[in-house]
Amino acid sequence: MESTILKTRNFNAFYGENHVLKNINIDIDKNSVWAIMGPSGCGKTTFIRCINRMHELTPNAHVQGSMQLAEEEVYEMNPVLLRRKVGMVFQRPNPFPTMSIYENVIAGYSLNGIKLNRKEKDEIVETSLQRAALWNEVKDTLHKKGSFLSGGQQQRLCIARALSMNPEILLLDEATSALDPISTAKIEELIYELSTQFTIMMVTHNMQQAARVSNKTAFFYLGELIEADATKTIFTNPKNEKTQDYIRGHFG
Amino acid sequence: MKQQQINKESETTGAMLRHIRIRNRKNYLFKALIIGATVMCTLPLLFILFYIFRQGITAINWQFFTSLPKPVGETGGGISNAIVGSILILLLSCVMAIPFGVGIGIYLSESPKSRLSYYGRLSVDVLQGIPSIVIGIIIYQWVVRPMGGFSAFSGSVALALMMLPSIVKSTEETLKLLPESLKEASLALGVPYYKTIMKVIVPTGLSGILTGVILSISRVIGETAPLLFTAFGNPFMSTDIFKPISSLPLIIFNYATSPYHDWHQLAWGASLILIVIILILNIISKIVQRKWKVQF
Amino acid sequence: MALTKWNQKLTPLDNELQQLKQEIISMGHLVLTQLQKAQEALEDMDRDLAREVILTEKRVNAFELKIDRDCENILALFAPVAIDLRFVLAMLKINTNLERTGDIAEGIAKFIVDTKDGFDSALLELTRTTEMYLQANEMVLDVMNALEREDTLLARKVFKKDDLLDEINKNAASLAGKYIKENPEKTESALYILSVIRKLERVGDQAKNMAEEIIFYSEAMILKHEKKSRKKNEGEKEDGN
Repeated sequence: MESTILKTRNFNAFYGENHVLKNINIDIDKNSVWAIMGPSGCGKTTFIRCINRMHELTPNAHVQGSMQLAEEEVYEMNPVLLRRKVGMVFQRPNPFPTMSIYENVIAGYSLNGIKLNRKEKDEIVETSLQRAALWNEVKDTLHKKGSFLSGGQQQRLCIARALSMNPEILLLDEATSALDPISTAKIEELIYELSTQFTIMMVTHNMQQAARVSNKTAFFYLGELIEADATKTIFTNPKNEKTQDYIRGHFG
Repeated sequence: MKQQQINKESETTGAMLRHIRIRNRKNYLFKALIIGATVMCTLPLLFILFYIFRQGITAINWQFFTSLPKPVGETGGGISNAIVGSILILLLSCVMAIPFGVGIGIYLSESPKSRLSYYGRLSVDVLQGIPSIVIGIIIYQWVVRPMGGFSAFSGSVALALMMLPSIVKSTEETLKLLPESLKEASLALGVPYYKTIMKVIVPTGLSGILTGVILSISRVIGETAPLLFTAFGNPFMSTDIFKPISSLPLIIFNYATSPYHDWHQLAWGASLILIVIILILNIISKIVQRKWKVQF
Repeated sequence: MALTKWNQKLTPLDNELQQLKQEIISMGHLVLTQLQKAQEALEDMDRDLAREVILTEKRVNAFELKIDRDCENILALFAPVAIDLRFVLAMLKINTNLERTGDIAEGIAKFIVDTKDGFDSALLELTRTTEMYLQANEMVLDVMNALEREDTLLARKVFKKDDLLDEINKNAASLAGKYIKENPEKTESALYILSVIRKLERVGDQAKNMAEEIIFYSEAMILKHEKKSRKKNEGEKEDGN
């Protein structure tokens, strides 16, 4: 029996008058890799940004309904504390340009004023970079600035930075869209390995990627959750016709 | 038939070649005009610098920097009190202007569409347009009179007001150019908003902000009019900010308008020093911009 | 492919799938023609017609190779999913079924060429070979039509039609045995007829397999190895019988 790490019930999201997410009911189980798919404008990015309340950065954003992370109501928590439990990696790699690789990885702690001694910091940096499959490439240049890395390496650095906080869920917002195929493949391998320790939700436009990497898939369309099921089922025998049309490439 | 075709082709080729030649000449002419205009703009600057250098260099010696102005009739004397005074006033102005200026700049870049932004930007623009002498008079009314006398402090207030618009503008412009993803990266790590601004956004934009500060200093360092009504000037060395104080532009004004030739020399020397300082500040700001600029 | 709605544009994959379907249907009709010719040859003891069938078997094999290659290409290039994937897999299997059916037709034709005496029409009638043959051909035709029209009801009817084939097959051995006792000089041709009946029974099996594949890809229902009664019942229920 897997336990559920994220549960939403009748979850709705609005940008002002715009009803962007309609009655989303979904259970995300622990240590799974969920692919969130759908055509542009279907609400998939909004959905994951609601999980760590980043959508609140847009003015006039508000939500209705319940979203629970590990049994706690997300919208009753302190957003700052929430975001330390949920890691996010964005489409464009965004390491902090004024910080070295080392400092980038523990930025979550240092920027938050959490005091750690040298040994603890070293350990966290090494573990996170190992998990992000970047340690061997940068272990000798930890004190160089992050901007000297290639795109794929920068993105893995951002993943390491998110992982260093040991989040309950890792959110990937089209994290490989801006990368070349080889970097993409490295990160997909990474996701596969990470899923044993973390729960991962990835928004992707690339259906092949969703099929390769995830074990569960959710299909969104025009703000509604059309179907959420095992990836195998969605790609061989989806229950909803819209889902089938989408994966066959008939729209979006 | 073929011969006719060849003739026709060579005709058109000839016409094309002539056309291209004319175009090339026009290009050349245009380039020459532009280069000429640029040279004409740089020439006066070079002439001024050269002239000031020639006039002022004779007054420069060690004594010039270390001694106080001597009374009329005595030769020698220096501008030590003016140099100290300028530095003191500017330091104080920076302390007053930078926190406000950077703070306003941060607000304007973070909430560009709010009503307060609109009025704030408007006010800053107006402030920039107020003549320096008017600022001097206003500060005289509001600071000098209540304080009961001239002071370095009131001079700093006046200069701070003049520095404010350019610090605000350069901060806002720098921060606006930073990508949204930087802020998002920090917020997504659970860093609260104010810390994100102070520890991530501002440090990343530091080169631009610093450049703005340095340039605003170099602009107000030579302002005379406001200081006439506030710092007033002091023939003696003073480091008391609540008393009148000398400064480079003031001393240039006083000495240049005096009837004594010795004092004229000192004025030239001080002018040279002032120009050199401004030049150095500009060079520093260029270096800062190049070395510390964060590329995205 | 009919499962594309009228208002959706055809993707390159859709075009490939349509072509694949046409190829299978062409192959199916070719195989059906082979069966029909072989039957005619059987009735009339027309050895020339039988030889035609044997020669034409080459075309059937060529079809099989091409369709195999086309399926492979579609899978490699398009990575189809869901119903498109099921369709390609179904066509691959139907390809094999049709090839085997073609072999059966060739086999029957070979009997006609090999036999010295010819077949006794009395025996043919006694064993109901002709009836069986006609039913088997109908089943193959039904399957091809079901594929073309994507008519799973029609596909299900094929299961019921197999009953007749089973019946005739079951009785064939004893009937042939009796005939041989009464006409021992016609033993060889009787044995040949028995073989033809066994072959026709396999044609029925191939048709059933093809019907299963059609239902599989349309409805993602796997009917293989299910009890016969259940399949028939589903066919009947939807019939309204």
